[in-house]
Amino acid sequence: MERKKTKNRREFIRSSMRFGMVLALGGVGGLAFRNAAAGKSVWQIDPFKCTWCGRCATHCVLNPSAVKCVHAYEMCGYCDLCGGYLKVGHSDRSTAAENQLCPTAAINRKFIEEPYYEYVINEDLCIGCGKCAEGCTAFGNGSMFLQIKHDICVDCNECSIARVCPSDAIKRINGPDPYLMKGDFSEPA
Amino acid sequence: MRNPLITFLVFLVTLIILAVVIADYMSTRPGRRPPNPFAYDVDEFRLLSEDLLRWRETGQIRLDTTPAAMAYGEGNIFLAAGRELQVIDMQGRRILRKQLPSTPTAIALTGNGMITLALGNYLVLLDYEGNITDESPAVDNGRFTSVAGSNGYIFVADAARRRVLIFNDLLEISDEFAGESGVSDIHGFILPDSHFSLAINPENELWITNPGLHKLQNYTFEGRLRSYIQRRSFDINGFSGCCNPVHFAFLPGGEFVTSEKGIIRVKVVSESGELVSVVAPSDKFERGTRAPAVAADESGNVLLLDFDKNMVRIFEPV
Repeated sequence: MERKKTKNRREFIRSSMRFGMVLALGGVGGLAFRNAAAGKSVWQIDPFKCTWCGRCATHCVLNPSAVKCVHAYEMCGYCDLCGGYLKVGHSDRSTAAENQLCPTAAINRKFIEEPYYEYVINEDLCIGCGKCAEGCTAFGNGSMFLQIKHDICVDCNECSIARVCPSDAIKRINGPDPYLMKGDFSEPA
Repeated sequence: MRNPLITFLVFLVTLIILAVVIADYMSTRPGRRPPNPFAYDVDEFRLLSEDLLRWRETGQIRLDTTPAAMAYGEGNIFLAAGRELQVIDMQGRRILRKQLPSTPTAIALTGNGMITLALGNYLVLLDYEGNITDESPAVDNGRFTSVAGSNGYIFVADAARRRVLIFNDLLEISDEFAGESGVSDIHGFILPDSHFSLAINPENELWITNPGLHKLQNYTFEGRLRSYIQRRSFDINGFSGCCNPVHFAFLPGGEFVTSEKGIIRVKVVSESGELVSVVAPSDKFERGTRAPAVAADESGNVLLLDFDKNMVRIFEPV
């Protein structure tokens, strides 16, 4: 009759350590695989959390900021009386500087046909202050909103805007799909 | 550390580091940050003169189903909610609850004891017991958002096709119009979103919103533009944004009760377009929610269908 093999304490510790190391290696490998499969993540603004506090314009490491206003044309009402373009108390609905809400005149208003007007953001002039987004959301469909432009963003490890964002609207999202466009996932106005 | 100079230097460096950390913390923590140099205060549009607030909320009726549309008549509230027709009295007691073949989008009492319900792109007629008595054919690509009826006609606002359809009493489309008058400087219905509403006033006049132009327009039953009111302004006296007013109803005296989106507010506007009073200012609603549907009873009380709180809110004049 064969004698049952017994493990002494030393063998037990050795095999436990081996098992633990294999487990840790597998975990690290799994995490690395997951990160590789997920691709690079990037910073982006959730337009439904954004409160247009102005810090995107003042706290980005770049000047002007990598945050720009973007326009979801499929949501836009192409209004003549545009809350994102016209300043409150405007003297008339024209492109005169004193009527414009944008501090850098970064929005071009173009007549399409009566009574429709198209609003195009000039990214070179936009500083990401969010005034237009606030006006558009308060009075209109909310088709203007802020996004971090990834052809400009230097992707800091810790986004200096995210650090001071009062509504936690800036988060890391999947790199291959780096924008949170309102028209794609908004609810009916 | 016997050298007092080294001790002093270490102490000084530690102090400087501590000062920098504390200054950084103090300057960036919420509440101590510098004010927004680009601040745009739209809250001034939410503030109102006390003189305009001549209504108070006197009742709330909670609903157990998400509502879609509301009508008032015969002392009761008729609701299209979920996939049901519900009838409740003004105390909130349920009188009737009937299942519908699909989700309703608009409701109206169209005379002769009949309820007309729009179910997306077709109509059904129901009696007050909730039995379906007739059904119209579906309209391709239609999205019916409002219904009103009088003198055997049923008028339907089709937001998808930007037209008003006229149904006869056999629920056949007898005519339709797109709001053009034939005059070059007056346009058809401009609908930047899917809000498109119509109603018939106590004088039997058909009024239709033209929200892209911030107008309420009066049409004949044949679809000819007769008159309109238009007030365009960011302030409380007018309508602003891409598309307002989104809903409206009539008080017994013929004034409009209008509901606006964006900065949500419900106002009473005279027949000539002047602001009379404010029923519910924007602080009565959550920000970013939907503008309520409106109705009025024969005593001049205003009923608001609050889509986000799932309730009917009753306002009485002070």
